[in-house]
Amino acid sequence: MKRFRLILWLAVALAAAAALWLIARTEQPTPPSEASFVSIGGPFALTDSDGKSFSSRQLAGKPYALFFGFTNCPDVCPTTLARLVRLRRQLGAGDGAFDILFVTVDPERDRPADLKRYLSLYGAPIIGLTGSPAQIERVKKTFGIFSAKVPQPGGGYSVDHSAAVLLFGKDGGFGGTIAPDEGDAPALGKLKRLTA
Amino acid sequence: MFRAILSAACAALMLSGCPSRSAAPDLRLSDGWARATAPGQSSGAAYLTIDNRGERDDRLVTVATTRAATATIHQSTAAGGIMRMRMLATLPVAAGERLTLSPGGTHIMLAPLTAPLKPGETLELTMRFEHGGERRIPVTVVAPGAR
Repeated sequence: MKRFRLILWLAVALAAAAALWLIARTEQPTPPSEASFVSIGGPFALTDSDGKSFSSRQLAGKPYALFFGFTNCPDVCPTTLARLVRLRRQLGAGDGAFDILFVTVDPERDRPADLKRYLSLYGAPIIGLTGSPAQIERVKKTFGIFSAKVPQPGGGYSVDHSAAVLLFGKDGGFGGTIAPDEGDAPALGKLKRLTA
Repeated sequence: MFRAILSAACAALMLSGCPSRSAAPDLRLSDGWARATAPGQSSGAAYLTIDNRGERDDRLVTVATTRAATATIHQSTAAGGIMRMRMLATLPVAAGERLTLSPGGTHIMLAPLTAPLKPGETLELTMRFEHGGERRIPVTVVAPGAR
């Protein structure tokens, strides 16, 4: 009887482990939650839209908003960039209040000249950055960014990517995120605190 | 007497109408717009409002324009912090529904563009609905930060 009980308990434990394993397996790969962004960021080296090397040291002493995207993104990326430019204007402290950085997650297609043409549409300074695929992978890791190419039905590909804008203070410390579905008022509040 | 009854019945019929006839499609397309694109950028997105004032559910099945090889219905979604863009086969517009296609949601993706979309330019989309048939809508190109 005792032995039967033991076997029964073992079966229960096994079933529980199997269930946990299934749950873990079916979970989509997700980016780190906002809470784990706290330790994100760090030095990086990339190439700017003029083809010159760009070091994160150049950002010292000024807050910045960092967004990852790609130039063949017709909807979300222009929406986010246009919004950042608009919010910076609404802040009323000029284009120098904080830098807007756009890092491509599609370095194979987005060369410096592509970034330059793309970013010139916004009528305000935006720092465009690209690099070798390996460099971009490193920067993505540094900032906890997810991206993955997705084939399009008509040929070519789109890129799924982390949607949030990452904010950094003038000391380089992480200052929160702006989510795409977040209202302008809370976003503006965050930028005010960041640039205060 | 018989005649009077007959004409009254006819009048009543005409007043109440035949449900299948009053469900004539009444689709109104408005506010077509798109953001300008840069040279080298292969795709653009167009937005508009589709107002189904009819009594019958309808759906957008195809879109065409002379400014791009294909015009397809796409949807951007942000779930779990990840931005995704996927093609939709059709876009349902329920009876009485007013659907606004806007940035960060459903849009008409134009790709590849024949040439960059220039601010001030107007292009035309030809949209075919399952019941409403073919409709045309002008799309005004604005600077990316304009709206």
